[in-house]
Amino acid sequence: MDLSEFEADNSVSCRLASAIPDVCKTQDCCLGIDEAGRGPVLGPMVYGICFCPVSKKEDLKNLKLADSKTLTEEQREDLFLKLDEAKSFVGWALQILSPNTISTSMLQRSKYNLNALSHDAAIGLVQFVLDSGVQLKELFVDTVGPAAKYQEKLSQRFPGVEVTVCPKADSLFPIVSAASICAKVARDHAVKSWTFPEDMGELDTNYGSGYPNDPKTKAWLLKYLDPVFGYPQFVRFSWSTAQTLLDSKAVPVHWDDDEEDGEKAAARQNNTSMLSYFKASAQQSDSRTPHRFFTERRLQSLHTL
Amino acid sequence: MTSSNCGVTTLRLDSQTERASVHLLPCEIEYDGAAEVSQFFTATIKDRKHEKTVSFRGRGLKGQEVICPQGYSGLVLREVNKPGSDQEDRNVKVSSVFQKFTYWNLETLPNSDDGIVMAMAWPDLADAVSVLHFLQ
Amino acid sequence: MTTKKKRTPHSQNDRWVVIAADSAVEPAKKEDSDPTFVRLRNPSTDAASLYLLGSGDGQLYEVKAFNEDFHSWFIGQTVQRDGRLLFVTPMDPLYLLLPYLIKASKEGKFQPVEQVVMDEDFPACTRLLSCTRALASLHHVAEEKDVGRQKFHRYSQQRTLDWLQKKAERTVKALRKRDLSVGEGVKSSTYVRVKHEPEAQAEDFLRYAHGLLSEYISEDLSRALHKHLQLPEISIPKAAEPPSKKRKLSDQPVEAGDDYTKFNSHDFARKNLLEDSANVRIVTCHPVLGSSAVPSDHSATQEDECSSEDPGKGRQNRDEEHVCLLQPQGQSGKKMSLRMMSGKLFAFCAFDINKK
Repeated sequence: MDLSEFEADNSVSCRLASAIPDVCKTQDCCLGIDEAGRGPVLGPMVYGICFCPVSKKEDLKNLKLADSKTLTEEQREDLFLKLDEAKSFVGWALQILSPNTISTSMLQRSKYNLNALSHDAAIGLVQFVLDSGVQLKELFVDTVGPAAKYQEKLSQRFPGVEVTVCPKADSLFPIVSAASICAKVARDHAVKSWTFPEDMGELDTNYGSGYPNDPKTKAWLLKYLDPVFGYPQFVRFSWSTAQTLLDSKAVPVHWDDDEEDGEKAAARQNNTSMLSYFKASAQQSDSRTPHRFFTERRLQSLHTL
Repeated sequence: MTSSNCGVTTLRLDSQTERASVHLLPCEIEYDGAAEVSQFFTATIKDRKHEKTVSFRGRGLKGQEVICPQGYSGLVLREVNKPGSDQEDRNVKVSSVFQKFTYWNLETLPNSDDGIVMAMAWPDLADAVSVLHFLQ
Repeated sequence: MTTKKKRTPHSQNDRWVVIAADSAVEPAKKEDSDPTFVRLRNPSTDAASLYLLGSGDGQLYEVKAFNEDFHSWFIGQTVQRDGRLLFVTPMDPLYLLLPYLIKASKEGKFQPVEQVVMDEDFPACTRLLSCTRALASLHHVAEEKDVGRQKFHRYSQQRTLDWLQKKAERTVKALRKRDLSVGEGVKSSTYVRVKHEPEAQAEDFLRYAHGLLSEYISEDLSRALHKHLQLPEISIPKAAEPPSKKRKLSDQPVEAGDDYTKFNSHDFARKNLLEDSANVRIVTCHPVLGSSAVPSDHSATQEDECSSEDPGKGRQNRDEEHVCLLQPQGQSGKKMSLRMMSGKLFAFCAFDINKK
């Protein structure tokens, strides 16, 4: 799997896709969606879709696909090669959400949670396939969240497509298994070949599975904690594992939208200058209030250096 | 009051100075001292289509360069030989100089309404308001 | 997910990021001393402020800090917690000499300036007389007499006002050049705008310039300059006032230029609360409390107050809070909550009267 496009800038999201098989543009198709790397505190999360004509479901079954989690890394690689060999009727596409995208989205001023992020990635991929001319009729989605709500969301978004959202879809439907294999292979590659944009010097890449409860991962997070910057972008800052470590071991950093300073954030949204101006004048009611030229520019005289 | 007003701080200009890359961040970092700025921060700045982006502690920042007004320079002053009591005279030296710096907003695009951009207009206006000009 | 830690107070720092006029840090010539930061009496506040005297005390600079919450610096390979940015800009030493001349003028006689510029709280003030041409420019603010080789001075308000007027004109030019928005002050009904727009705009610029210059002079002189510049007064009409006990509005009429121009109207404009604020007039003004005084056509209710946004004062001070109907030209009007404190007028928030 060639990830060079993502590796060129692994701070942002990236979409990778196979060629669209011609047969998918003329025949009714089914499409499976699955994700890989949702839980880990390290590396990207990958959304994968796989699609083929409904008539080719049996051919897909013959590839002996299974849920990627039940397979070894080697088996997954083999199966991905088989999928690639079947490119005359099977297509795939991936959305790689970089850990930096995950961190900055989830920690955004107006929070963008992981579910919304995931749904948007999935919807984006389906739309991409539709835009490419695939005759999409059936959609199978594996989910960890509430299935009914997600199913309704997708059905509304893609009228005319029969949507099935259910847990364990990756073991029930071969097309979802195929999607899960694509996603997992991409995630494994991305983690293994991660090039740190930071200058990390001699780096120990023994970070284990990346899951927060993996002792190797924990040890790595402790070892590479920087007191000012926290972590390289490879780490998802929005994970509580990372946050907890930062809270106890890194220097405190305060933002204007921190809960502690929520008053400030409210002031910013309403009328910052007015309020701070008022506060200032209340404090020094005896002296003259500075001209608005200075208050607007946050400029003040100094009493001492 | 009386004694504290006497104290003067001499700005010593005899020292060696270096050029420094300077960034104004949209957060308060409770720390003064050495940090791996170039390794973690500068190395990850993306400069595309007039838009600088970077992230700090998992938060997305957007940045813009600010150039010192004409006739002005950026200086970093550092106190040297800090006296034990506040009665004594103090000394500061210029530890680094800069002609431009980058200021970073949390998520929002830098614009002319940003406090720091507005504040940079002060030297130009100060010239008219408060400078000694010889009339006629 | 955000850090919920309380900010710890910041102790004394030993580094400062400064934007300084190049002349302030030019290497000293020969035996001249290095530049020094000194504390001198701020003519506007009468309290200590920080200034810089250039090499050999040749030039005076003022020091202002850009100080906004939630900033820190990266400087090279270091972090500096203090996110302030200091500005060191040249300043006319006459501003700092003036209060001493004015104080001495009470005696009414000509005196050697060295005897006048003395301050036991701020002994460094005598160094102002070493500034290049500080002595030579004293005639802008004082009458001069030569007796033998000795020069004697006596403060002249007329000269000072003429000198300040020239400063104001210079400032107006600079403001125009920078295209700074100056004309967003709220206008009251006692001041009906009958002039043509360019003229009115010229007045806004002059009012703004006066406000800026007032940062460098005493309140008395600021008032005198206001008259000298022939800036129209702005005050709240007494008629609209209720028979309230605390009649601060009538006790202390709001001074034009001193207060109105200080409205942070920038924020109003940004929020489109006052679309064309240059044409806004206060047509009525009454306190929130005291229903007897509330005109029937637009009565004020609790919802109107927005006093919850006031961080400092509770509702017990409501008798100082006033609701005004602002009337932009050609529009139905906006309401605005105003508050008097220490005789100064504050605009709180504006809200669309049509929403009621």
